Amino acid sequence: MSDTLERVKTVTADLLKIDVDIINEDSRFVEDLGAESIQSIELVAAFEEEFDIEMDEDAALAVKNVSDAVRFIGEVLKEN
Amino acid sequence: MSQNYFQIDEHDIKVLENNGCQAEDWNTVYVSPEFDSTRVRDVVFEGEIKLGGLTGEVVRNDSRKKKCGIYKAKLNNVTIEDNCYISNVNIELSNLVIQSGVIIENVGKIACVGETTFGNGHEISVFNEAGGRELKITKQTSAQIAYMTVAYRDNQKLINKLNEITTDFVTGQKSNKALIANNVQIYNCNKIVNVAIGESALIDGALSLVEGTVDSSTEAPTFVGDGVIAEHFIVQKGASVTESAILSSTLVGEASQAGKMFSSENCVLFANSEGFHSEICSIFAGPYSVTHHKSTLLIAGMFSFFNAGSGTNQSNHMYKLGPVHQGILERGCKTGSSSYLLWPSRVGAFTAIIGKHYANFDSSNLPFSYINEKDGKSVITPAMNFFTTGTLRDGYKWPSRDRRKSAKKLDLIIFDVLSPYSVQKVMNGKNILAALKESADKKQEFVTHKNIHIKRLLLKTGTRYYQLIIDKYFGDMLVKRFKKEKPDNLKDILTYEKNPELANADWLDLSGLLCSKKRVESLIADVINGNINSLEKLQSGLENIYNSYDNDSWNWFLLKYKELNDKELADETNDNLINFLDSWKDSSLKLLNMVAQDSQKEFEGNTRISFGIDGNTDTDFDNVRGTFADNKFVKQINEEIEAVNLKYEALKKLISV
Repeated sequence: MSDTLERVKTVTADLLKIDVDIINEDSRFVEDLGAESIQSIELVAAFEEEFDIEMDEDAALAVKNVSDAVRFIGEVLKEN
Repeated sequence: MSQNYFQIDEHDIKVLENNGCQAEDWNTVYVSPEFDSTRVRDVVFEGEIKLGGLTGEVVRNDSRKKKCGIYKAKLNNVTIEDNCYISNVNIELSNLVIQSGVIIENVGKIACVGETTFGNGHEISVFNEAGGRELKITKQTSAQIAYMTVAYRDNQKLINKLNEITTDFVTGQKSNKALIANNVQIYNCNKIVNVAIGESALIDGALSLVEGTVDSSTEAPTFVGDGVIAEHFIVQKGASVTESAILSSTLVGEASQAGKMFSSENCVLFANSEGFHSEICSIFAGPYSVTHHKSTLLIAGMFSFFNAGSGTNQSNHMYKLGPVHQGILERGCKTGSSSYLLWPSRVGAFTAIIGKHYANFDSSNLPFSYINEKDGKSVITPAMNFFTTGTLRDGYKWPSRDRRKSAKKLDLIIFDVLSPYSVQKVMNGKNILAALKESADKKQEFVTHKNIHIKRLLLKTGTRYYQLIIDKYFGDMLVKRFKKEKPDNLKDILTYEKNPELANADWLDLSGLLCSKKRVESLIADVINGNINSLEKLQSGLENIYNSYDNDSWNWFLLKYKELNDKELADETNDNLINFLDSWKDSSLKLLNMVAQDSQKEFEGNTRISFGIDGNTDTDFDNVRGTFADNKFVKQINEEIEAVNLKYEALKKLISV
């Protein structure tokens, strides 16, 4: 879990070009981290590449914050 | 109404003279048996004058009634048929045929000077400002005829024939008398010269109309209003041009609107287009092209179903060989505020363009995309615009906003967002993205396609999104067929319609009319060999293509299914048919869920900024904007989700039979 969290934070920081230290579990991608709508799609794609998974498009886009993303990715990894 | 006129008799001449009238020569004044000389006062007659019956009343557009008659006017070579009201003509009515029930009140000069074609046949430099794509505008020019004339310059034989056909029509319009048709009303106009005015048109407050046609009918009356200045123009049925619009060498199509100081030169705007405030030059605006903002300049472009954001601008000039460049936004595009495009460029259908773009790119095979600007680069996010609220809403709204009232419409419009035209491009896009992904290095942030950048990360996502669109379209075709045929067994409806070979081609968008290239080639052959030798026959040929859309699109779907699966849909096992339905249901629900999520963004987070100015933000927001759950569009999406599930179950039942 903590490994997934760290990887989610790193991917998010790289993509949004922000400092990884400002990201915590409660950070919301749009409101707190400044992700624009296109970047939401890019984040999903980046998580897919990082974890070598495929995420359900509409369910993935419904994820709003870092901890939900970690949980969602964990579930996909478990299913795989 | 044609009727007999007789030379005016002495009694009527006396009455007229007592009423302050005078004639250059009373021998050239003719009247009908119902003519009532007591209803004519202070009128000067010159040249040949024919006056119809003057009985009863006419009703003005403000509901006031006026006794038919002619008061305070100078008439020169004019026929006035029955029951007209003409009052206060400050300069003259000259060389006119004024049909029955016409009202003309408080005008300067309405005249026909010499032989004219009333704007018909006037050549405009549309799409390419420097010329080479000239179009002779006429009142019968449809979006499709204009498209073929302007776009198919690679077929000179066709262009020569189209010009001949148009010239024949124009010759038939030639006259040295202008017609003001039945029940036209003209008020408060300064100058109308060489203008033909169709039935029931209302012209109120126009400043200057010169060399043009205001086509109009009882069922689709046309309005020209305050302050309009127009020269070399055609305004088609049901259109409205008002509020100081300036038209020069321009065709305003059926039920289109121009106003609020809009200006246009060398342009066509086809059905249901809207031009307010903006300036447009050499624009081919297909049906539903809309520009509403003062700071917008559209130049040398071809659009349809287009919405221009404020400050939209393009360049067609590199200060080398003149304004020679042109650009295309395929149907359904939008430009964001202050967006800029450097022509030549071509943007794929249903794409939103944001930011300033200095590269000449071609994204025609990447439809339903977002194009934005990042660090000076043009970056495309393929397929994303299919899953946003705007595209789905547009798809709903266009057919419901067809203002055309004529039973016979000139512009032939297929509204479908998903069609063989757009889906073939989606298929192309899917292949392009897959190939780019295959060759891309993981270290690359971007790849490029025809001069536009794509984030490497999004190649896989875009490919998947495009597949969702294909799955949805294929299933939609089956659902449409199911609703039409109501079969007992699904396989009963999986048969080809007639002439499937005609659908097996690239599909084209003839400015609103979606059709297979083979249909168009056949039409072109008929034009070149002379089987089609009039505008009427050409329009009829286009209507045949329009009427074959359902037939051809169904055949195209079956052919594409076979091409992609190496098997006819009708030969699939029941399990595969169920898989087919599952893919449709899955893609449809994903689309609707993603659109719902996109809509939800309009109700949360930063969208609340500036609400609750001196009080409670949420209450203020809810009272002004409403809630997500109560939003009409959101409710519509929820209903559609329910409908998808119901249709899925209904179709599935037919498989196990």
